[in-house]
Amino acid sequence: MSENGPQPASGSSPGPPPDPGARDALARAQAELLAALVAGGETPAGFDGERLRIQASSLIAKRRGQVARLRPDLVRALGGDFAAEFAAYARGRPKPPGGSRADARDFAEALRAAGRIAGDPALDPAPEPVPVPEPVPRPRWWVRLRGR
Amino acid sequence: MTERLGVGIGWRPEIDLTVERLPDIGFVEVIAENIRPDRLPESLRVLRARGVPVIPHGVGLGVGGAEPPDPARLAHLAACAGALGAPLVSEHLAFVRAGGLEAGHLLPVPRTRQALGVVIENVRRAQDALDVPLALENVAALFGWPEDEMTEAQFLGELVAATGVKLLIDVANLYTNQVNLGLSAVEALDGLPLSELAYVHVAGGHSHGGVWHDTHTARVPDDVLDILSELCARVDPPGVLLEWDDDYPSDEALETELGRIRGAMARV
Repeated sequence: MSENGPQPASGSSPGPPPDPGARDALARAQAELLAALVAGGETPAGFDGERLRIQASSLIAKRRGQVARLRPDLVRALGGDFAAEFAAYARGRPKPPGGSRADARDFAEALRAAGRIAGDPALDPAPEPVPVPEPVPRPRWWVRLRGR
Repeated sequence: MTERLGVGIGWRPEIDLTVERLPDIGFVEVIAENIRPDRLPESLRVLRARGVPVIPHGVGLGVGGAEPPDPARLAHLAACAGALGAPLVSEHLAFVRAGGLEAGHLLPVPRTRQALGVVIENVRRAQDALDVPLALENVAALFGWPEDEMTEAQFLGELVAATGVKLLIDVANLYTNQVNLGLSAVEALDGLPLSELAYVHVAGGHSHGGVWHDTHTARVPDDVLDILSELCARVDPPGVLLEWDDDYPSDEALETELGRIRGAMARV
């Protein structure tokens, strides 16, 4: 592969090139749909609104699961209210660019601002600028030997 | 490329030792976005040393998006494949971002002629950036696009014909679309170019209010195994892989699930 990234394939493979307006049309359609799903946008024409609501809730549930794994302290602090509090935070608010860690941080800040949790900065996890999450290194080679 | 892979399981850091210990694991998959090719997890190095193929499985490329695939993401996939000595890379026929927003999930592409042209070009760009074949997976959907002109099988068929891309068929996703959208899984199997099959995904999920959620956190339903049997009646799949992503069960339970998968494959 090239260090400079892939070259456009047009001309190198058979088949017609895409309609020049096709990318723009697809971009508009996908952006409109995604805004409806994660940013409180209007249901685009022709879609089943109930299905999109189910999809939107499913996306929030997925975010909630990821935040719960990153911040068990928030799950403990909120108890049975965790799901409802997260839904209230996430509805109409897209996942921030920093991924689940940024989502967890923004949720904690929203809870603090609303007085739902104490304003203890120690609750914040260490900032992690790396976009690719690392599996937790676990030096357990002896377990591996024992398992043979 | 019809390398024999056998029956495998999705490698996750939470179950690394379990995966190493499970008997007769033919291959594993690792979520490409979760590893760094220059610092592979020890467990994957152990598996590679044993000769177990490890396939990088991407979830963030969005080859069904309106933007051409991000060269940095493609370079990462290529580097993962290189570091793992992988026979192929897999991704999804889906879009994951649009208009500056991230879905955090694999969303279905509008299956129109116009969109197909864009996806064909995206796939070609991805193939040009990879040194190994690319396989694309059918996704689970909770909704359809009003402008859909083709079934997912037809769309994937056209994509395969135009690009030579391989197929990763997720039978749990076929089941999900059957339950949620009334799309027959068997008809989908009949419409797919199964000669281009790279491998198969199997997973469990949960039903909420009549809607099936493909969560990868539960026992595989018999209905999903039936679809696997239907697939095996049509083609001998090079590989079949169990996906389990959270709420991990005991090692014995995972072994049982793999046994049920082998049973469904042998039922033909």
